[in-house]
Amino acid sequence: MAQRFRRFRKLFGLEPKGDVDAELAFHVEMRVRELVEQGETPARARQLALKRFGDYDRTRQDCVVINQRRRQHMDRAEFLSELRQDVAYAFRMMLRAPAFTAAALITLALGIGANSAIFSVVNGVLLESLPYRDAGRLHLLHMLYPDGTQYDALSAPDFMSVRADARVFEQLEAIDQRSVTVLGAGEPQEIEAAFVTGGLFNLLGFNVSNGRTFLADENKPGQSNVTILSHGAWQRLFGGDPGVLGRSLTSSGTTYTIVGVASQEAILPFPAELYFPLEYNETFDATTARGRRSEFLAVVGRARPDVDAAAIDADLKRMGSQLMTAFKQTNDGLTFSSKPLREVIVGDVQKPLLVMLGAVGFVLLVACANVANLLLARGSARHGELSVRAAVGAGRARLIRQLVTESILLGIIGGALGLGLAYAGTQALIAARPPDLPRIDEIQLNGTVVWFTFGAALFTSLIFGLIPALQATNEHLLKGLQESGRGGSGGRRTQRLRSTLVVAEMALAVILLTGAGLLIRSFVALTQVNPGFKPDGAITLRLTFQGAEYQNGEQIRTRVDQLISRVRALPQVTAVAAGSILPLGGLGALNDFAVEGAPPPPPEVNQEIAVAGATPDYFTAIGAPLIRGRFFTELDQPKSAPVVLLNEAAARKWFPDQDPIGRRVLSGGPREVVGIVGDVLQRSPGQPAVAQMFIPYSQRTGRTIRLIVRTNGDPLTVAGAVREQVRALDPNLPLPQATPLADVVSRSVAQPRFYTALLTLFAAVALVLSATGIFGVMSYSVAQQSKEIGIRMALGARAGDVLRSVVGRALALAGAGVVIGVILAVLLGGVLANQLFGVTRFDPVTLLGVVVVLLASAALASLLPATRAAKTDPVTAFRST
Amino acid sequence: MNQASPEILRGTLDLLILKALSWGPAHGYAVARWIEQATNDALAVGEGTLYPALHRLEERGWIAATWGASENNRQAKFYALTRKGRTQLRAETDSWRRYAAAVFAALDAPALD
Repeated sequence: MAQRFRRFRKLFGLEPKGDVDAELAFHVEMRVRELVEQGETPARARQLALKRFGDYDRTRQDCVVINQRRRQHMDRAEFLSELRQDVAYAFRMMLRAPAFTAAALITLALGIGANSAIFSVVNGVLLESLPYRDAGRLHLLHMLYPDGTQYDALSAPDFMSVRADARVFEQLEAIDQRSVTVLGAGEPQEIEAAFVTGGLFNLLGFNVSNGRTFLADENKPGQSNVTILSHGAWQRLFGGDPGVLGRSLTSSGTTYTIVGVASQEAILPFPAELYFPLEYNETFDATTARGRRSEFLAVVGRARPDVDAAAIDADLKRMGSQLMTAFKQTNDGLTFSSKPLREVIVGDVQKPLLVMLGAVGFVLLVACANVANLLLARGSARHGELSVRAAVGAGRARLIRQLVTESILLGIIGGALGLGLAYAGTQALIAARPPDLPRIDEIQLNGTVVWFTFGAALFTSLIFGLIPALQATNEHLLKGLQESGRGGSGGRRTQRLRSTLVVAEMALAVILLTGAGLLIRSFVALTQVNPGFKPDGAITLRLTFQGAEYQNGEQIRTRVDQLISRVRALPQVTAVAAGSILPLGGLGALNDFAVEGAPPPPPEVNQEIAVAGATPDYFTAIGAPLIRGRFFTELDQPKSAPVVLLNEAAARKWFPDQDPIGRRVLSGGPREVVGIVGDVLQRSPGQPAVAQMFIPYSQRTGRTIRLIVRTNGDPLTVAGAVREQVRALDPNLPLPQATPLADVVSRSVAQPRFYTALLTLFAAVALVLSATGIFGVMSYSVAQQSKEIGIRMALGARAGDVLRSVVGRALALAGAGVVIGVILAVLLGGVLANQLFGVTRFDPVTLLGVVVVLLASAALASLLPATRAAKTDPVTAFRST
Repeated sequence: MNQASPEILRGTLDLLILKALSWGPAHGYAVARWIEQATNDALAVGEGTLYPALHRLEERGWIAATWGASENNRQAKFYALTRKGRTQLRAETDSWRRYAAAVFAALDAPALD
């Protein structure tokens, strides 16, 4: 800073060097004159004078150094004192115009606060590195199938092969994540658990706060009966009891001793409350073919520091082709790929979050334009004051500095308020638990966010402060006091600048409104998609049968049958069923599939179908229709003829123009198609149903079922009764919460709802701000032209004409903004492409709607100033100026 | 110049400059001339050391400089005592007198017992 001002000062005073030279030259000259007066010749006198002076250059240099140092001190002192004056003055000015100050601060706090809140989300979710050791080098391995699809798990033998052979990974560890039923910690409950290889804690840099990590031997069969609690489980199940080590938990008939409690930071990227050693059964063998096509291990590797993505891929492909040769039966056509762990975790939300950050950036620009507009208006109001200051000698730079100081002060206070808003905003956001947003607990207002806010505030102040400052101190001002601001060409130019800002605001608002409009239309379209089932009136519970009583399928089936018949007997229950999956609950298992008699698929095609188990009333319970044939019945038993139901998509895909009923399909073994059911959405309303095959639960029994109960009474009462029946049948079964089936529907659109709500909020803020902008500009222009309006009215113009003219001008401004905004919105619409459903960015309804909303808001905002103009009394208008 | 003139003591030059200015503003040459005359040229005040000393005093705020016209109508830098400089002059004069008196007293004192 001091540097800049020193350069600046050179324009006025003598610089230190020239100063010193003149002074010393004067001295020598005086001495020469004295000597000449004493009779020396001029040449000789000069010689003597210089000799007497001593080391001239040295002296000069010393003086220059002292002077420069002194000047620096003075500059700094002067700068600080001016700054103090400016700040004090700025505070006084802010207090003197409380309405202006409040408007500016609220606008800034909104703009900056929204940015800080979204930035803190982006920072926590996308920017902060994962809480793992060398997180940047961690990769998740995938199976890569011939048709290009990926599956993010490996089989045990493939894992052992890759682990033994990998050249690019320093360390490879595996996790088998599944839920377990746990006894011995209060009520029986189902808990997400991670069965891990010995080095996982080391790989991720996890520590224990109590006890120890797993030992190398504990992966050996029969030695795995130990467990480590996550910090969360320790708190939740044991209330943080420090004496928990040595106690035990029972799961599936095995007793596990608690040997450690993981530290609070140790959190896997997926839910896992308990850690167990992964027991190496006989398939954990790099040389066996057995179990190679049973992929269940999430494999995480730390790449060597010197390898890049291409090298990793090459090494994985090398191992893949080796296994293809060595295990042709199981691995033909299969290979591996990997993705950085970070991408796996945040990949899905990266784009929408960045779009939101961009959108909120636009809001800040609108806020900037608005405050700049306020400042321009104020600059006109302060014309007199600034003229006086200019007249008493304040230079333009000095005045600009004063005005920019005021802007920065506004910016910083607005930023501080914004930080408060951002804090409230992020707390609300975290409390709302936006769906599918990973790492939500890492969202916080930390130092990075505070710096960002501070930077945004400074940047903003410069943007909104500089233009008005330049405008307010233009040359007309410096010419002197004679020209009044009103009606002068300076005033007209200010008006033009303000109009430009309003047009820009409107354009930005159009972009945001269009984005919000497209998302709203998509969301509406999503909710109007027929899901293929009737969620209302049905509840669902998830049950897992584990433990000594459930050793085989027969035992589980018996229990499920008992449960279904007991629940069916409950009052107000109209249908009850069990299935392996829920509608909108994902595709579930995928099986190989072929139609008997059809030509076999080409080898590179992985012919698969989604498979689910269902009891006879499954489709009645979820409310899906039978299209042809029959549903399953009580006669479809484990030993009876294998049968399947196909959904319509499967029938269309595999039996085009044929009747599938009675035909046989091959999946595991031959099965007869007995019916076609309506398509039920599996993934989300945005993704159409794919081919799906249902097998009687009796012929495909799983440990985990979804119990679905349809009722014509109060779902809550029925849920309680169902839970009582579960408890009565087996008190050791974990008792899950019953959720309305409608929840799965709302959950499936929760993410689009979240982003839609967010963008709509931003668009609304932008709309309000730009409407305020129009209001401000029109009010100002009406006030400025009151004389002109007075003349027109005196000449016979009617109030209606004046009203129309003011509103018309507002609409003209808004129209310009709308044209620019619509063009930009269509150009920028591409970034939303992934989030649109049923509409394109050229959607005429949205664009038209936005145009109407914007023009209406502009007209509305100009109505008050227009009315005021229409009430102008010609006599008063003439007197006032 | 008189080769036998004693080197001026550190700090003494500052005192002499302040004293020189105590009669009113003067430019550097005048200060140098006054010191020469007042000390009968007995002290070898290197003119080279005079100017850095003036600038240092200005930096400390004991004297203030302005450009003005000299007696022969040339632009010259005139130094004047500030209020702070005047106080300083009084303090230093006192301490110098006490110091000199003490040294003289010692020089005139009889031998040790």
